[in-house]
Amino acid sequence: MTAESSAATAPARTWRYWTEPAWLTADGVRVGYRREGSGDTLLYLHGAGLTRQWLPLYAALARSFDVIVPEQPGFGDTELPDHIVSFDDLVLHYDAVLRTLGTGRVHLVGHSMGGWLAADLAVTYPERFASLTLLAPMGLRTPETPMADPFRWSETQADHAVFSGTAGHYLEYLQQEGELEDYLHEYAEGIAFTRLTWNPRYDVRLEHRLARVLAPTRVVHFADDNFIPPALSARYAELIPGAQLVTLPGASGEPASHVAIIQQPEAVAALMTEHASKYPVG
Amino acid sequence: MEFHLFNYGAYPDIPFIDEVENTVYIDLPNRHFDPVRGTWYLDTYLDTLAFGEKLGFDGILTTTQMGGPVGMTPTANLSAAYLAAKTERILIGTIGPILNAYQNPVRAAEELAMLDQMSRGRLIIGLPMGHGQNYHSAATMNPAQARERYWEGHDLMVKAFTEPGPFEWQGKYFHVPYVNLWPKPVQQPYPPVWIPAAGSKITLEKCAEHHYTYQALFSPRKALKRNVATFRQAAEKFGYVPGPDQVAAVIFIHVAETDAQARLEAEPHLMFLMQNLNRSRQVDAFPPGHFSVSSLRGFMTQGGYRDKDISEMTFESTLEEGWAVIGSPSTVVDQLHQVAGELGAGKIIHIADFGAMPNWMIRKSLTLMAEEVIPQFRGPGGRPVWAERDPRVAPTHAEYGAVKTEPEKVPQARVPGIGVVDVRGAHVDELRKPLRP
Repeated sequence: MTAESSAATAPARTWRYWTEPAWLTADGVRVGYRREGSGDTLLYLHGAGLTRQWLPLYAALARSFDVIVPEQPGFGDTELPDHIVSFDDLVLHYDAVLRTLGTGRVHLVGHSMGGWLAADLAVTYPERFASLTLLAPMGLRTPETPMADPFRWSETQADHAVFSGTAGHYLEYLQQEGELEDYLHEYAEGIAFTRLTWNPRYDVRLEHRLARVLAPTRVVHFADDNFIPPALSARYAELIPGAQLVTLPGASGEPASHVAIIQQPEAVAALMTEHASKYPVG
Repeated sequence: MEFHLFNYGAYPDIPFIDEVENTVYIDLPNRHFDPVRGTWYLDTYLDTLAFGEKLGFDGILTTTQMGGPVGMTPTANLSAAYLAAKTERILIGTIGPILNAYQNPVRAAEELAMLDQMSRGRLIIGLPMGHGQNYHSAATMNPAQARERYWEGHDLMVKAFTEPGPFEWQGKYFHVPYVNLWPKPVQQPYPPVWIPAAGSKITLEKCAEHHYTYQALFSPRKALKRNVATFRQAAEKFGYVPGPDQVAAVIFIHVAETDAQARLEAEPHLMFLMQNLNRSRQVDAFPPGHFSVSSLRGFMTQGGYRDKDISEMTFESTLEEGWAVIGSPSTVVDQLHQVAGELGAGKIIHIADFGAMPNWMIRKSLTLMAEEVIPQFRGPGGRPVWAERDPRVAPTHAEYGAVKTEPEKVPQARVPGIGVVDVRGAHVDELRKPLRP
């Protein structure tokens, strides 16, 4: 899926939070990324969706940090190269991205699939990250309360699992190019997600490896998340030395869903900023 | 024209689709499966296929369906083995093992070689990719890698059949230090292969490249015609024109005394099938990567495999779109001539068991099919291919005796006081002679 050629011939993008990404090449992969703010650098690894946007969450974070949100390979307008099939490949990819950007130590944040990846990065490069924040992360097994199956949701089921029933209030984050194109774009992003997480949907090795994490860690669970069970966030907090678990409750009459990042951007940004600012990159 | 009998082997006693939360594939609770009724449904399914020989079909075909009532046979190879034992000469197609469900394709190749051996050379091999629902059910096969892994698996399997072992295979998906097929198939170079394809261009091209039979699935007739055209164009690139024997059409067929009677018998059962078993949600049928984005765009914009909600199809439209041929013998003859003409199909895969249809009704239709329809497509005598020419290799002692050759090496043992003897005659004192000390 090529970015620039489709941008050249495709109609103008008019959805509310669309911004034009910048481009870099890391280990031969053309990556679209968005960057705003100043101060300590914060690398935000997004989850499997809500791409091609500068979310209000990012804007809120950019008041306190130099926020970088790369598009994960296979998401947004960024290509999915043949050689990226596993989280191990993504760890090396982000090593290349960070070296290309020349950032030095950074704060690391990941949401959902991005949280799983952030954990892998923190395990692989214990000294590189000043702090680690995991938002409703995937990646550990919880046999008593397994995570919902993200590959079989009807529209209604996806609303329940991802939005806890509130999707109708957030259509501007979901409707981009029209029904068919949006469906095909999500399917294409699904291919990247499938490569990475189809089976197993967790990494047993993390149960041993998370002890390697040196970055001070905050795990944020969204209270009414119907995709990631509380036990999963809790398990990360249990396995990462010194980690704290915070649960964000619902607000303004809405449950705090898996995508509370768009429901409560200020509250989520505050939880992240409060944590990361205790550990300046220095 | 060849006629092959293929059934679903479904377990019919399930809730109607509007009481099913997601789909009857994948996660319909198996508490609905009563083991005792199940033995009868399975027996009926297998028995009807075995009956295909007495009916005079050219072949009988088995299928793989897992994790639900759509079919009770999660491995086509097992049913094929049963049928090989129950029948004498009829061709048997296992259509078939899902290569990606095997940890490595040599396991599949071994089973297939064994089947060809056990059936004495009657085997046809189908190599389905597996539909999307299979990927959900089977868990450890990743749909995003499915096609690539499948074709490497296919290439390894073909090499295992055709190249002397042991050899080492170092691939992207499989590293096998010793590929050494024991037994090897009887048919040379290997049994005929059919590839079921819903329209993936790459699949059709590979099918043409290897001179396989393209098994056209279900889709509305216009989509099948497009696919057959793609298949023919692909074959041109490889320098040949495929014959009708390389196109197999899958059709629900029911025969009765009159068109009206056939409709009376078949309609509720066909609707049961279409409304409960043949439908699936988009996410279940198309896990990401199972089709490419461009293939999916094609299905959604040009119409194709299951493009409209099948449960909303009327009886008339299933006939118009070519899913089903239902009527009196002469109606069925006419329609099959039409299908054959339009698609250039030389093989008809006849689905007779419409889900919940009682076996006595299936056999009634099949008997009419065998006596009134099939002979219209054959030469005088109405013989199936396996009656024209025995597909088996030396099936009697006498025939074996006439063709057998001395092996390169004979079984030997060292007998004290004598030396190394050929054990085959060593029970006879005069023959217990040393070959060497």
